[in-house]
Amino acid sequence: MSLGLGPAEPVIALSANRVVACTAAARAAGVEVGLNKRAARTRCPAARALPRDTEAEHREFAAGIGVLEGLIARFTLMAPGTVALPAAALARTCPDEEAAVEAVLTALTDATGWEVFAGLADSAFAALLAARTATRVPPGQTPDYLAGQPIAALTEADADFAEFASLCRRLGLDRLGDLAALPGGDVYARFGAVGARAHRLASGLSDRLPVDHVRARDFSARTVVEPASTRSDVLSFSARQAAAALFAQVRAAGLVCAQATIALTAATGDVSARTWRLEAMEETQLADRARWQAEGWLASGAVGAAQPDPGDAPAELAEDGIAAIEIVAAELLEPLAAQHNLFDAQTGEVGRTLERLQGLFGADAVLVPGLQGGREPAETNLWTPWRQAPHPERDPDAPWPGELPSPRPTLVEHTPVDLLDARGHTVIARPSGLDSEPALLAIPEAGSVPVIDYSSSWPVEAMWWEPEYRQYRVRLQVVTAAGEALLLAKEQGQWAITGRWA
Amino acid sequence: MSARPAADLQALTAQLSSLPGVRTGRELFAQRPAFPVSEVLGPLFARGGLPQGEIVQFTGPHALSLALASVARATREQHWAAAVGVGEPAVASVADFGVDLERFISLRTPGEDWLRVVSILVETFDIVIARPAFAPSAAQRARLAAKVRERRMTLISLGPFAGAAEQIATEPGQWTGTSAGWGRLRRCAVTATHPRTGAHRLLLPADTGAAEAVVRAV
Repeated sequence: MSLGLGPAEPVIALSANRVVACTAAARAAGVEVGLNKRAARTRCPAARALPRDTEAEHREFAAGIGVLEGLIARFTLMAPGTVALPAAALARTCPDEEAAVEAVLTALTDATGWEVFAGLADSAFAALLAARTATRVPPGQTPDYLAGQPIAALTEADADFAEFASLCRRLGLDRLGDLAALPGGDVYARFGAVGARAHRLASGLSDRLPVDHVRARDFSARTVVEPASTRSDVLSFSARQAAAALFAQVRAAGLVCAQATIALTAATGDVSARTWRLEAMEETQLADRARWQAEGWLASGAVGAAQPDPGDAPAELAEDGIAAIEIVAAELLEPLAAQHNLFDAQTGEVGRTLERLQGLFGADAVLVPGLQGGREPAETNLWTPWRQAPHPERDPDAPWPGELPSPRPTLVEHTPVDLLDARGHTVIARPSGLDSEPALLAIPEAGSVPVIDYSSSWPVEAMWWEPEYRQYRVRLQVVTAAGEALLLAKEQGQWAITGRWA
Repeated sequence: MSARPAADLQALTAQLSSLPGVRTGRELFAQRPAFPVSEVLGPLFARGGLPQGEIVQFTGPHALSLALASVARATREQHWAAAVGVGEPAVASVADFGVDLERFISLRTPGEDWLRVVSILVETFDIVIARPAFAPSAAQRARLAAKVRERRMTLISLGPFAGAAEQIATEPGQWTGTSAGWGRLRRCAVTATHPRTGAHRLLLPADTGAAEAVVRAV
């Protein structure tokens, strides 16, 4: 392990104050997954408690598991700590199951020093449950084995099942067998895709869902604009031709195009490619998107040097215009999968407006709010471009000691300032408090404003266990003579406004 | 609206119905519905909520807080709201004001394009909060007002907007909770003034981060 701890030492890993993993030594002392920190400490006072680090888990696991590559042709990384192997893949090299398991465990333990449990069953989910107790479920008995497991075991397969499992318990379905006994169609009708998947798992069928993403060959269409043009009606007309040609190919294959990539080639050779989601296979929709994309691209070229990325669209582009339009089907679906869900919110109109704005100003201009873990608004803010999946960097469910309490600032900013005391010296912040009383806030290019009141200062020390990422800063709330409230932070000797109540 | 003689009213109705965006004069006179706001903010607005089809102007240092608190209830009732040119809002405080994050969009577009962005958003959004980077010309204002009226949405301008139907001014608030190096900011008592409904004392924000009424003068 990277922290220099041996496997014999009792170590527990914590997330949100709960034990998520522990070593054999800790387990021997009575520590169980799911205990809170205090209970675990009572049972095993010698255990070292470490915060969970999912990044490191993925990194370590992916590296350690590499040894299997020399042993097996095909295996699947399910999650950090779990790997699924098809037993058939070992049938050729090992005489029997026992030898196969031994070979895998020996290879893994030798290479990494981890303790590894194996479970054998007919489905990956059953094998995962069996691995918790190092059990071999004989072939054909997987449904019986699963029937006796509590319904909460579903969360082992996917944490997203937590809500579904709790609902089942309240409905009186305590065991996986109770769920499997229900007709699959009824479960799907009542619980939708989540229920259907849980039912498959509980019945001992494989988790693999039918492939609904089809991409046998590339569909694309290209029209040449002759002569090159910047006029939106001309471009729209050409795009419509290309769209019609593309949709004819896609329809002939019996598919539906859900996303299309539009590539505009300028007379200068520059290319602007962007992928758009389509609500319906209509030529006008695609032509509109091509027009928005072209307008946005040409407009950014016309503005020239003021643009953040002038290399994207040179100024002479406006004179030459667009010479060719190519449309590629980026996502193809079977017709049924492309149907709108009746229960989805009606976001079609709003979506089209926002996509149009994204075409004009770039995808990053239209942002959807979200929250992630962190101690300050600048850290907890998670703005994601419309139609993109959010990727939180920090766990929002983990505890964040030193988190800013309500009421929180309404705006996030980062303006370096100087906080001065009555004698004109910069206020020095120490863990114990401020050295002198702040009297004046000097904001570059905006003048100075007297400070009439301020809060106690509170320090934040984060990632002290990793010198590289170590952060230390002191935060302070001040009220200025103008009645404005500001959140200040001092990091590496520099005061800055990090939040504003507006 | 004030009472007028019947003949005058008919002439006025005919004149108004010839304007673009006004279907009949009666529509203008009828109490148009308003987007609901929380009980605390209701008395502040002439129609008890954000007036549909009108431009509303919030000014003063707490305009953004007031705007977020005003749109909260509407977003929870499945209306879409967008913010243009306000900077980077802190999502935690937006959620504290009660805004449904799934119905809120923030646009990071250049300031000089604000009018263009707003005129696109007006088409489908129910409420748009915009900080005008420049004052629009009279012709642009008239076109925008007609579009807002036709789409029956509310445009909240954070800053002076000539011809706004409702004009609410906030004054610098009184923060409490800190005392020269002790405590932390707890609440801010703000006076919001509407020419028709008078002055209202609000906690913007209160301890929870939401808008609340002042229970007792602080």
